[in-house]
Amino acid sequence: MNNHEIKNEIEKIFRDVFDDPDLLINEEMSSDDIPNWDSLNHVNLVGAIERHFGVRFALGELEELEDVGGVIRLVRKKMHSLK
Amino acid sequence: MLFSSYEFIFLFLPIVLGIYWLLGKCRHPVFRKCFLIVASLFFYSWWDLAYLPLICGSIVFNYLLSRCLQDRISLLSLKKKTILWVGVAGNIGLLVYYKYTDFFIFNINWLSGGNVSYWNLILPLAISFFTLQQIAYLVDSYEGIVCERSLLDYALFVCFFPQLIAGPIVHHGEMMPQFKDSRWVGVNLDNVSRGLFIFSIGLFKKLVLADSLAVWVGGGFGGEQALTLIPAWVTSLAFTFQIYFDFSGYADMAVGLALFFNIVLPINFNSPYKARGIIDYWKRWHMSLTRFITTYIYTAILRACVGVTFAKAMAATIIAMLLSGIWHGAGWTFIVWGLLHGIGLVVNHWSVRNKLKIPLWFAWFVTFNFVNMCNVFFRAETMNDAFALLRGMVGLNGFEIPSQLNALIPDLTLLSIGYGDFFTNALFEIKVFGYLLIGFVVCLVFRNSNQIIKNMRFEVKWVIVNAILFYVAVLNLGRGEIFLYFNF
Repeated sequence: MNNHEIKNEIEKIFRDVFDDPDLLINEEMSSDDIPNWDSLNHVNLVGAIERHFGVRFALGELEELEDVGGVIRLVRKKMHSLK
Repeated sequence: MLFSSYEFIFLFLPIVLGIYWLLGKCRHPVFRKCFLIVASLFFYSWWDLAYLPLICGSIVFNYLLSRCLQDRISLLSLKKKTILWVGVAGNIGLLVYYKYTDFFIFNINWLSGGNVSYWNLILPLAISFFTLQQIAYLVDSYEGIVCERSLLDYALFVCFFPQLIAGPIVHHGEMMPQFKDSRWVGVNLDNVSRGLFIFSIGLFKKLVLADSLAVWVGGGFGGEQALTLIPAWVTSLAFTFQIYFDFSGYADMAVGLALFFNIVLPINFNSPYKARGIIDYWKRWHMSLTRFITTYIYTAILRACVGVTFAKAMAATIIAMLLSGIWHGAGWTFIVWGLLHGIGLVVNHWSVRNKLKIPLWFAWFVTFNFVNMCNVFFRAETMNDAFALLRGMVGLNGFEIPSQLNALIPDLTLLSIGYGDFFTNALFEIKVFGYLLIGFVVCLVFRNSNQIIKNMRFEVKWVIVNAILFYVAVLNLGRGEIFLYFNF
């Protein structure tokens, strides 16, 4: 799966978690740009991404998920290590 | 050795930097790393040589356990999970022993009416900080995201002297790669100039602002007399600005010192008193602690739950903030402080969830006053002292014009308003109001130090500002006020 495909999948998850069916994401977007992206929804987001892609993030990796670009990079890294 | 002392600024730092830069010419990084570790341990031992074995033992203990966790080396055929718990318990046990023994005795005496004598253990410097960093390292080793064979890099990550005593609480993921990166070993003039600038800002904050306010804070909190409205507010506000200038000043100096060595430390403060909500406040105050608590306590609790609900997240928030309070100090005042901030966060989350529309100025006003009120518990020696000051702040101890203001304010005795002493044990000077005004202006209007150095270019105006800050600060060197966070 390339970055573009991962981004499309993640966009669906973002729309679902942040309850915003029209949300469009880009790599630079962070919690400052998405009003509902707080510490509570962050945990929900992480859980949803883990279930969708069948990966497990370590606690120490969650720091890297502070923006959409970070999410894509980490998902890609995790999926790569699964192979 | 304090950052704000003659021996540090004029002896230790120039010598260590000079040798470190010279060693940068050497191809083998092992020499400069060894040198920096020895210098850091010397810096640590300056206070008390007795705790040198403690920090060295802690580093070796955690390094060995982390190697077992990373390599799946069998240790007495223990499972990885058992090794992790041994490590976490060992670190927390050491901290509890030094920090909380007397607090337990106090509570046992209080509950049982007994009279067990205190152990009076002295809290080893930096233990609260290096404990957190090493626990995070063990957890990450257990979870398989760190593989580090170099004891030197690990030791440097723990004891690098700019961040050793009072943070910022660094994560191995941001430090170890920098120690390994050999591109930046010599003198980097850009880093040196930015480092010197932010170091000077920090030194100025500490010596000129925080240490001046400390006199009135000490006068207000330490007095026998119940404070009336004005002195009670002056005391609490003075502390709120003192702790910010003291702690963020320390963090600025740490960031600046690390830059001399071409190491970038995380930002610890981002204009916290501009916050318009408690959630916002904790994103700006002691950010490296917030990061640790969010990742390794709050998220860890929630991930252990099945299904994350709002109620569970709020319970995790309260627990995390209570632990933060306990981490700050052994006393009921710190527990109450943590609990209050936990409740503040819950209320803030509730208002966001219900999309309450709050004017920004009002959100700022409530946040600042809430933080200021909580700080009373943070500073007071006992719960009774805290309540006494809060009584004064709500006017229950009456209202008097400080007699020092006699000449400035028309006679109000006709309105049954009397004149009274301001503080009983500290000289009141009208300039305290000037310092509070400076506090408000610097904290609410100015850009903060990290914003200033981020895009700073070499310009004459910055050189002049830097020189003035450094000169004025150095004039105040040697006051001997310890940094507040050294006690935590």
